[in-house]
Amino acid sequence: MSALLQVSGLGKRFGGFVALDGIDLEVAEGERLGLIGPNGSGKSTLVNCLCGTLANEHGTVTFEGRVLNGMPAHTRTRLGLARSFQLPRPFGSMSVADNLKVPLLYAVDRRAHGHLTAAQTEERCEELLRLVGLVDCARKFPRDLTQVDMRKLELARAMAAEPKLLIADEAMAGLSHSEVSDIVALLIRLNERGTTVILIEHIMRAVMHFSQRLVVLVSGRKIADGKPEEVIRDPEVERAYLGQ
Amino acid sequence: MRNPTFFAAAIGAAAAVFIVAALIGNDYLFFAGYTVVQYIVLAAAWNMLGGYCGYVNFGTAAFFALGAYTTVFFHKAYPLPIPVLLVIAAGVSGLVGLGTGYLTLRLRGAFFSIATLALAVVLQTFVVNWDYVGGSRGAYVIRPDSVDVFGFQLDYVRYLSLIMLLLAAVSVAISRAIERSKLGYGFATIRDDELAAEASGVPTLRLKLIATTLSGALMGMAGAPFPYYIGYVEPASTFGLTYAVNAIAMPLIGGTTVWFGPLIGSILLGTLTQIATVTISSAVNLLLVGLLLVGFVIVAPNGLVGLIREFLRAASPGRPDVRSIGLVAVASYGFIVGVLEVVFSLAALTAPDATGLMLAFAGLVLACLWIVSAYGMMTLQRWSPLMATIAFALSIVVGAIHIWADRTAFNISLWGAGGAVAIVSLWFLQRRYVQQLYRPKLTELEVAA
Amino acid sequence: MDFSADLLVNALVAGLLLGGFYAAVTVGISISFGILDIVNIAHPAFIIVGSYVAYIINSRFGIDPILVGVIALPAFYALGAATYQLYHVSFERRGQEGLRGLAFFFGLLFITEVVLILVFGVDYRYVSAPYIDKSYTFGLLQLPMRMVVPCVMSLLMLALLQLFLGRTFIGRAIMAVAQDQGALRLMAADPIKIKRIAFAISIATCALGGAFLIIIQPVEPSIGRDYIGRVFAICVLGGLGSLPGTLIGAILLGIVESFTATFYGPSWAPAVSFGLLLLTLAVRPAGLLGR
Repeated sequence: MSALLQVSGLGKRFGGFVALDGIDLEVAEGERLGLIGPNGSGKSTLVNCLCGTLANEHGTVTFEGRVLNGMPAHTRTRLGLARSFQLPRPFGSMSVADNLKVPLLYAVDRRAHGHLTAAQTEERCEELLRLVGLVDCARKFPRDLTQVDMRKLELARAMAAEPKLLIADEAMAGLSHSEVSDIVALLIRLNERGTTVILIEHIMRAVMHFSQRLVVLVSGRKIADGKPEEVIRDPEVERAYLGQ
Repeated sequence: MRNPTFFAAAIGAAAAVFIVAALIGNDYLFFAGYTVVQYIVLAAAWNMLGGYCGYVNFGTAAFFALGAYTTVFFHKAYPLPIPVLLVIAAGVSGLVGLGTGYLTLRLRGAFFSIATLALAVVLQTFVVNWDYVGGSRGAYVIRPDSVDVFGFQLDYVRYLSLIMLLLAAVSVAISRAIERSKLGYGFATIRDDELAAEASGVPTLRLKLIATTLSGALMGMAGAPFPYYIGYVEPASTFGLTYAVNAIAMPLIGGTTVWFGPLIGSILLGTLTQIATVTISSAVNLLLVGLLLVGFVIVAPNGLVGLIREFLRAASPGRPDVRSIGLVAVASYGFIVGVLEVVFSLAALTAPDATGLMLAFAGLVLACLWIVSAYGMMTLQRWSPLMATIAFALSIVVGAIHIWADRTAFNISLWGAGGAVAIVSLWFLQRRYVQQLYRPKLTELEVAA
Repeated sequence: MDFSADLLVNALVAGLLLGGFYAAVTVGISISFGILDIVNIAHPAFIIVGSYVAYIINSRFGIDPILVGVIALPAFYALGAATYQLYHVSFERRGQEGLRGLAFFFGLLFITEVVLILVFGVDYRYVSAPYIDKSYTFGLLQLPMRMVVPCVMSLLMLALLQLFLGRTFIGRAIMAVAQDQGALRLMAADPIKIKRIAFAISIATCALGGAFLIIIQPVEPSIGRDYIGRVFAICVLGGLGSLPGTLIGAILLGIVESFTATFYGPSWAPAVSFGLLLLTLAVRPAGLLGR
């Protein structure tokens, strides 16, 4: 398996505060990577830099051999790198189904060189709704959704871009036990179809179950990278994140 | 309705309006109507960037004046027919829109808005210092008496009105076409959440630039015939804030997310403006526009269209029934007539006699009752049917006094018709199934208890 | 164009004095836009109202306009608090600050101007005070008192505000609310109340700013429009939310405007501020001392 995503020496600061300090990371194609770390460790900043929402000052991000530095977010999404937001950001004036149509129209259609017909768009939209279990909510508006469904919509919208690499940023916060299992199962199914997934989470049960490899971020630095069972036994990880 | 069909229908409607106006034959109708139709174009153009994308343009006057001064320039240098001027104005204004957008659209929306204000002033300063187009003294543009159109000799003002009507039809058709297209989806995502839009693959900068260019071009086209219409163009009024306020108020009052929102808003507010300017003064008219803008923005953020839509969704989900349509009709009547009554009552406040003064105050009270009850009815407030009943009853009394005070045929027919509508509305409002809509619904707990 | 030393020096001094005054007019926006992130386009309207208040009381009772400004401070503070409350309830709570909040302030700007025209007409109004017509000459240098006095008072006001923001609890809470509302809550301070106080202060500065304005030049209702560009240009130039930056930006603009007016003519003056604003937005939106 070749490296789908390569991050080397990634650095980002906000004024005097160093959010990310020389991050090196590789994600192989088809891999299931877990990313954990305490609050404020820079996880979301890392996602933002990878996806182009923020511009990194140092280092490079390479996706499928292409250097992404300077590329706007929408181009990265079109290339196949999609993310869901930690706090759901739906398009409030559109129905759930229409929310999913946007990435289909703008990312997938582009990749297909504009040859995605209206019927195909509808079809893919419905398939997505079925996959996440939101078929009943298709005509509803985001403001009428429950918390769980909002998170599902957020994830579904990222999936609608048919990415090669999907970054799920704390998609399960506040969900119940069974809901978490549902989402993990969904992500695993997605991975089985060929999508590489980076899962950022605090819920250890989900992370351990899901990840083939685990990366730990503390204060903007990567302090561990390896098999999940080994990483959680690492004394430094225990000290910094898992608690004494 | 598919786009080409709608386009043809819009052109047809414009032509029909023109023919009806020509048959009525009143020249003043064309004069006043030109301004209203011009605002249809400006409102539709503004809404493409403001309503669809969420970026507020305060510099409508800049693009409008660019179009106007392009005409002035060519009028002095080498007079061209209006259609050609339209194209040139579109090009100039569109380019300026593109340029401004490129400089500022990568920043936050607030900065873009301030930049549009800045643009208007900078352009105004340039024009003031450019003597060829008249500078601060202004330029006179003599229009020909008539023009040859396919063998017909058409009076020039009517010709300009026809051009403006066609332009309005085109603007509305373009708005509708965009709204239902992939571009429209993109615009809406920019408005809803630009960050999420980018993450979903929407090229936000490119779309914003398209909106700015298109919007600017249309505004420039609206300005191109203006010098011939008005005869004398000077920077202070052409670059005035009036255009900015109207172009913002009309879509916000009508409704910013659909193509017929700006249309309703511009026709309503435009007509009101004409009436108020003539009966009272242009300063008071501007005050009314400002108050309506602030009022709507606070109380009904989605405009009239939004209010009616919310009401229909709550009162009759699915298909609108007789009850809800009737209520929308009554509320619309109350609101429109109420606002008109405000204007006329303010004008009548300068009446010399006691009866006239009393009627003016009564009219103001009546108008307020109407407007507030209309809003209440659309937002399903409990007190609204009662207030509306009082309003309509009062209107019958006021109408009777008007007729008694001034027994002209016009007055009798006007207030008589109003009285008839009032009686029908009163009957409708007392119907049980209407009253039931406004009674508080018992919650399941209360029913169970 | 005659680049005599005389003209040059006086243009420079006039620019400095003007800049000091501009800072007073802008500091309100530095607070409301720079710190609170509220795009109060109606700020110049409040300034003009301040000018008219100074005019009314000065012409009726003969009280010094700056004194009138000080007396009017509580009233303007209350006005600011009320305006913020309306803004907060109607827009911030609903998350609609973008389009509708802007339209709201724009509407306010417009209504204010029209009401002033209706009440006072379009004639220029001015105030009278013993120092307005005085001017001291030091060799090449001419110091018109009508510019010196407002400038000095303006610097005083700025210094007081900077002290307040840096040293008092409320002042620091105001600076904090811009950065982290959540943390502020944990410190037992209500962010909404803090914002209201800050906004009220920003409007209160208009009482004095307006008084300064009408001392420097006669005022009529539509002058506010010229100041929209100036105020935001200074804010952006100096870096949002920085009071020292506001002063530097104001002086810079004052000097550039003064030179343009002296050597190219006053009719180009409005283009200077707005042109500078456009340029800054295009090239360096964070400003010279930006956060």
